[in-house]
Amino acid sequence: MKRALPLLLLLAATAQAATSAPAPYRQFDPMEDYLPHVKGDMSLSGSYKHWKDPANLDWRMAGNPEENWKLNWKFMDPPFNASVHGGHFAADRGEEIFHELNRKAGRTGKFATCLGARKGNLKGLRSQYPMYRKDLRHVAGLEEVIEHCAAKEGRELQNGSYDNSAVSVYVASQSTGMPIKINVTSAGPLKSAYERGRKVFHARAGRINLACSSCHTYQIGLHLRGTVVTTPYGDVAHYPVYRTRYQLQSLHLRFIECNLATRTQPLKPGSQAYTDIEVFLTGLTNGYPVSVPSERD
Amino acid sequence: MRISRSFFCFFAFISTAWLATPAFSGDFPSDFAVDPAVVNMTLEPKVVVNSGKLEWVPFSRDLTPWVSLSYEDKRPAARPRQVKLVEPLQGDPVRGRELAIARDKGYCIVCHQLPGEQWAGTVGALLLNFKKHNYPNELVFQQIFDSRVFNPISVMPPYGTFGILNEQEIRDLVAYLQSLD
Repeated sequence: MKRALPLLLLLAATAQAATSAPAPYRQFDPMEDYLPHVKGDMSLSGSYKHWKDPANLDWRMAGNPEENWKLNWKFMDPPFNASVHGGHFAADRGEEIFHELNRKAGRTGKFATCLGARKGNLKGLRSQYPMYRKDLRHVAGLEEVIEHCAAKEGRELQNGSYDNSAVSVYVASQSTGMPIKINVTSAGPLKSAYERGRKVFHARAGRINLACSSCHTYQIGLHLRGTVVTTPYGDVAHYPVYRTRYQLQSLHLRFIECNLATRTQPLKPGSQAYTDIEVFLTGLTNGYPVSVPSERD
Repeated sequence: MRISRSFFCFFAFISTAWLATPAFSGDFPSDFAVDPAVVNMTLEPKVVVNSGKLEWVPFSRDLTPWVSLSYEDKRPAARPRQVKLVEPLQGDPVRGRELAIARDKGYCIVCHQLPGEQWAGTVGALLLNFKKHNYPNELVFQQIFDSRVFNPISVMPPYGTFGILNEQEIRDLVAYLQSLD
């Protein structure tokens, strides 16, 4: 026993050293300060003045490929875009599934309550997501909560699947026109997630060593082949979105598309890093109206 | 006697801990979209209309060797690396142009303008008439190999350090750029 004691102590000390090992080397872009409100774009790209009123966009800019980035593609959102597209079909499908789950015998209204609706009213719910969920014990986006609540009603709606995003589109469409409002400035889990998200946004990764901010903070308005880089402000108001070249796409699926395009190993929808970026980008969309159903090319 | 045995255990423990860190030993972070059973382990999602399941299909490339955004990914990223070009250059400008346009090689036109290419990017410096700058080969080689040596926040991919291009390919690119009148 006497002999084993120093050995045990040493082992404990090295185990401690192993768990508190220094963070691995990572490269970060310069950490920009952002205003957690959509008007913060005026000190980043300045394009906000062209898209702050989604009902009155300059249609001439929308039709000009050199200028449409200044509208932050809001000409594809309602009310400016009044056409019927795949996003509307998704909203219909989502409504069907929502009522199916919300009217289960003996559990009427439980699904809506689980999503966070007060007295079954979905109005304004989307504006409050992502939020801290006591039952999940972490900050979660709407799609993760839909998966969680649907499972309670005995239905599998995987995060990122068409039906999950369809329910999300339906729930969000009940808040169309209402400004996004999440509190990322008071101390709490949401603020921590926002700060982590800001850090991930500036973290270089992948085969070509890029961070989100490498383009979307420092190269806004410049060309990358045929596309023009847009601002990170006000960008999450229209998700999940109908992609004409893809399908219904949740925000986390969009992150996967970004990762693949920049040759970075993608993560699963609902992963913590993605949720943190979602919180960060939603903070930068505070004050901008939910714009669903929407489409993008 | 007691001390020496303890020290032996100490070193044995430390060395195994160090050996375990660099690469994934079969266990990927739990949030990676991967299937270790397929050749290109990276997966991409496929949305199936009117389904509650998200399908995953193999992506065209394996992206697992490079650092990701996962919090569980503890691999260090490759640091900036200074290299020395041994002259003569011996690059092939024709091959260099092919590499500059190839999607999975240089793909310089995403950010840079090159003669004869439409829809060039505007992020990077103009490369038209590159020869007039009279840059030494060594400088151009280092800029392509790892530009972070000159500018720590450069957004240009470190083609050499990250293994996107090999040394000869970078020599070909340098030869191509130095040939642009």
